[in-house]
Amino acid sequence: MTSIILLSIFGIINLFVGFMKSKRILLPLSLLFLAVVFGANLFSWNEAQSYFNHMLTIDNYAVAFTGIMVLATLLLLPFSQHYIEEANENLAEFYSLLLFSLVGAIMMVSYENMLMLFIGIEILSIAMYVLAGSDKRRLRSNEAALKYFLMGAFFTGVLLFGIVLIYGATGSFYLTDIAATAAVNDGTVNAMFTLGLLLLVIGISFKISAAPFHFWAPDVYEGTPTLFTSYMSTVVKIAGVAAFYKLMAAAFAASYAAWFPTLIAITVLTLVVGNIGAVVQTNFKRMLAYSSVSHAGYLLMALVAFNERSDASILFYSLSYALATIVAFAVLQYVSEQRNGDETYAAFNGLGKTNPLLAFAMTVAMCSLSGIPLTAGFFGKLFVFTAVVQDARLMWLVVVAVLMAAVGIYYYFKVVIAMYMQPAADAAKIRIGSFASFMLIFITVFTILLGIAPALVSDLL
Amino acid sequence: MNQIPDIIRTIPLNYYLYFSTALFIIGVIGVLIRRNAIVIFMCVELMLNAVNLLLTAIASYRADTNGQVFVFFIMAVAAAEVCVGLAIIVMTYRNTRSTDVQLLNNLKW
Amino acid sequence: MNFILSSLIFTPLLAALVVLLLPVRRQKAIKAVTLLGTLVQMVLAILLYFRFDGSAFANGQQGYQFVEKLHWIGFSLGTLGRFQIDYFVGVDGISISMVLLTGIIGVIGVISSWTITKNVKGYFLLYLLLLTSVTGCFLALDFFLFYLFFEFMLLPMYFLIGLWGGPKREYAAIKFFIYTLVGSLFILIVMIGLYTSVIDPQATAVQLGLIGAGGTAAPNAILQVQQMLQQNMVSSADMVRTFSIPAMMEPANFIPGSLLHVLSGVELWYLPIRFIAFLLLFAGFAIKVPSVPVHTWLPDAHVEAPTPVSVLLAAILLKVGGYGLIRIVYPIFPDAGAYFSILVGGLGVLSIIYGALNALAMNDLKKLVAYSSVSHMGFVLLGLASLTTEGVNGAVYMMFSHGIISAMLFLVVGVIYDRAHDRAIQNFRGLAKVMPAYTTFVIIAFFASLGLPGFSGFISELLVLLGGFSAPEATGMLPRWLTVVAVFGLLLSAAYYLWALQRMFFGKYWIFPELRAKATITDLNFREYLMLAPLAVLALLFGILPNLLLDKISVAVTGMTQLTLQNGQEQLELVLSSLIR
Repeated sequence: MTSIILLSIFGIINLFVGFMKSKRILLPLSLLFLAVVFGANLFSWNEAQSYFNHMLTIDNYAVAFTGIMVLATLLLLPFSQHYIEEANENLAEFYSLLLFSLVGAIMMVSYENMLMLFIGIEILSIAMYVLAGSDKRRLRSNEAALKYFLMGAFFTGVLLFGIVLIYGATGSFYLTDIAATAAVNDGTVNAMFTLGLLLLVIGISFKISAAPFHFWAPDVYEGTPTLFTSYMSTVVKIAGVAAFYKLMAAAFAASYAAWFPTLIAITVLTLVVGNIGAVVQTNFKRMLAYSSVSHAGYLLMALVAFNERSDASILFYSLSYALATIVAFAVLQYVSEQRNGDETYAAFNGLGKTNPLLAFAMTVAMCSLSGIPLTAGFFGKLFVFTAVVQDARLMWLVVVAVLMAAVGIYYYFKVVIAMYMQPAADAAKIRIGSFASFMLIFITVFTILLGIAPALVSDLL
Repeated sequence: MNQIPDIIRTIPLNYYLYFSTALFIIGVIGVLIRRNAIVIFMCVELMLNAVNLLLTAIASYRADTNGQVFVFFIMAVAAAEVCVGLAIIVMTYRNTRSTDVQLLNNLKW
Repeated sequence: MNFILSSLIFTPLLAALVVLLLPVRRQKAIKAVTLLGTLVQMVLAILLYFRFDGSAFANGQQGYQFVEKLHWIGFSLGTLGRFQIDYFVGVDGISISMVLLTGIIGVIGVISSWTITKNVKGYFLLYLLLLTSVTGCFLALDFFLFYLFFEFMLLPMYFLIGLWGGPKREYAAIKFFIYTLVGSLFILIVMIGLYTSVIDPQATAVQLGLIGAGGTAAPNAILQVQQMLQQNMVSSADMVRTFSIPAMMEPANFIPGSLLHVLSGVELWYLPIRFIAFLLLFAGFAIKVPSVPVHTWLPDAHVEAPTPVSVLLAAILLKVGGYGLIRIVYPIFPDAGAYFSILVGGLGVLSIIYGALNALAMNDLKKLVAYSSVSHMGFVLLGLASLTTEGVNGAVYMMFSHGIISAMLFLVVGVIYDRAHDRAIQNFRGLAKVMPAYTTFVIIAFFASLGLPGFSGFISELLVLLGGFSAPEATGMLPRWLTVVAVFGLLLSAAYYLWALQRMFFGKYWIFPELRAKATITDLNFREYLMLAPLAVLALLFGILPNLLLDKISVAVTGMTQLTLQNGQEQLELVLSSLIR
């Protein structure tokens, strides 16, 4: 709860700081705020408490995911430095919106009531609509914002209709009440309940860009300014998956049989569409969009497994995925800026020579995303897969996922090939701030550290 | 004040359900087939209002205020969404001089 | 506790760290550090070889020597028991030969890399990382640890081919990467499946309170746990699942009703699930071996890779495939091994013949050598499939001997390529006139490879063929005609080597006119003697005194073979009977 309050206050402070002449203070200030929130959040560890008439519960699950999301924001912000140099007039607003949207994300991982889920999603999404269109003179950004907004509002409607149908069937918005009603009725109360559940699943699947509700993702990711794409594909997705798991575990555990077939179909489709879609891309950013679709698939696998290991697997996978994705987008920002907005693989040609640090960080990130051992991503996949095979009947799902992971290597390594094996088109070294380089090194080391000692995080839940 | 739920209850709940579902589906179809961003947005609002209507009906039938409170939250959030949404549409209009979503094909689907 | 194995694994890593800290322009120092690191590793490997007691047979948890076991990752899964990964290394008769080979080839590779000029630091860094992961692979007794090294091996190799390779290097590198990766993902699937099915009896005994924590292995307690397990008396929460390979080798450690238990009765595509698991694992390792029809990455990789990388690839990396089959696939799935012996043996013979025929057709000397590798590694599969004592011993011997000889072959190809920047057979004639010493080594290498008596290749081929011929009576595994066909492979290999020899080295000296401008055809220099001579000596030494190696390996290999055969036949009946029910 402290993190929600602090973030709201800090967001407002940020807006006022925006009146000042110097924009340089905004980034350090926001980082400081986030660090404070990160620390304050940890105090709630092992001290579960309910708020607002039990509509919100800050338990370890919430604290862990809040920690990851705040950390992700903290890690991706330093790469926004060039926004400052461009003397963007709305800088303070962007930082504040990020902080505000984090509030929504935190509500999404700590809700106990459908109302809070809805509000959390909306706080997160409305801020993201604005941020998607923040580069308002570029048509691509406009288009991304408009698509994201229209589709987002549409699927919010679907989600709400699902909530109402569940409410009609069970008479409550509380997850525990819904679970109780469902449990006495053998998991399926009536057709209204089942339909509502289906609509809920569809609504949240949209938020985490799971196929077949992923179609907006490539366009929106590509059009949105890279910094916010990075946020979108990490924080928004993690919040969505965590909310999804919480919903299923707390309210619909008894209805497993009702949602399992739908979810497994969505999972397989997401894995296949995400990976195959990424293969054919020539634009690195668009490839990352499809790759984030595919990672939603791996995350959903843990949800499909639905056992004691699911939450810890989701947690670890989220963290490993976030770390790698942040690096990928950060490097992309630097490279595309140097190459006049070029975001294709070719933009990375020869980066290994001109900027060994960027290239190395990118290589580790790509290894982590594709699940090569000694990176966090490997253990992320391993934990998810071990969670799934606890149920022997799901072995085939692991086989599909493993094959798709092999496909993944192909497109992730395209950029590695470009960086190390292609001659540089533009031999100029890309300038990076020392703080940003430090953060890159930090994330890379952290990724490798988690690949050697995953128990640091995997034991938390 | 207790009369209003009573009045609502004079119509069977299923009727509300069918009506709201019909409204919702009209909204969904509108979103899928219309090309004007503003009309699409209005269809989304139609969906939200279908939800509101059903929430109110169910809440009165169950004599549970939670559902009615939810309606206020939906209205408030929808208002916020309208602000942002119309701003985005205006921003797009300034660049393209149109609100036709078909024109926005810089990014392929 | 003895740290010799860890030092073996981590010496190259330590050297890599030193290299990392050295500035880029200190190329001499970088090379010196690498050489020192590999020399230390070789000395350690030789020391280990002499201190290794070849008369002990490793069965189950006991019997491995120089064992080191540390908990690495472990956490509770709630009602699903515990998740545990150990740093568990040890050596037995099967791995000792591979470790020795790695030590020797590591040094030879550095000598051969001495002329590298492009990005020296990166090259030697990757080289050392590669050595670490290969050594780790050969020593790991925890499946997970093995997999980790196995998969990590890909990265340095990928960059070594992709950055220092020939004109089509990107294609070759990514092809190598994807092939091997798909294989290792198959292995991953089975590994996860095994993990859900196998318990560590000792750790479970600790969990049940039968022996105190940190207690030594108590055979009685382990037996008791295994009996309790098979009678469903161990609750799921007390089971400590494990990735330990020795634990997986004992059928008694499989949880009743689990996916890969012999009596699970689960079928997939009309085959018992254990057979599917075997096929997946086999496919994974066969890609690495490589066996026809998944060998196509190998010629490409070899042709594009620089000479030292080819040497490492042929001499050590391919052995990981064969080693995995012997160490993991057959002991864990003996039933399927017995059932599919014709398939494995058939693929082996197919590799022998197809590889040899291809080699016969090649104009590029390096491609010829690459295909001869495919052909010779076929013998490993054949020997293994026979499941006879001679056959499996021969397979292990073949891996060692092929390691030495193929290294030599690729080095001699490198020598001519360094001089003429070309290695097409038809572009050279009568090289013996100008390069007599070189020709001597080529003849030694070729004859050793084609199996002339007195060289190590002969011993291994002889053992494999003996095993193959005795298999129908001894184990009932392979039909005799298969081995007869394999013998033709020997004839073919004699043909392609002698033909190449005749075309390139004999007759009047002539080289292709367009090459003359760039080529400076001189005889071997000191560095080249230094890398070729030891290999020639070793090939001879192990050809004349096979007991030097067989003394160390045969007890373990024989024990493993007999256990596999016995378990295999028992379990095969069980598996098939569980299906009929």
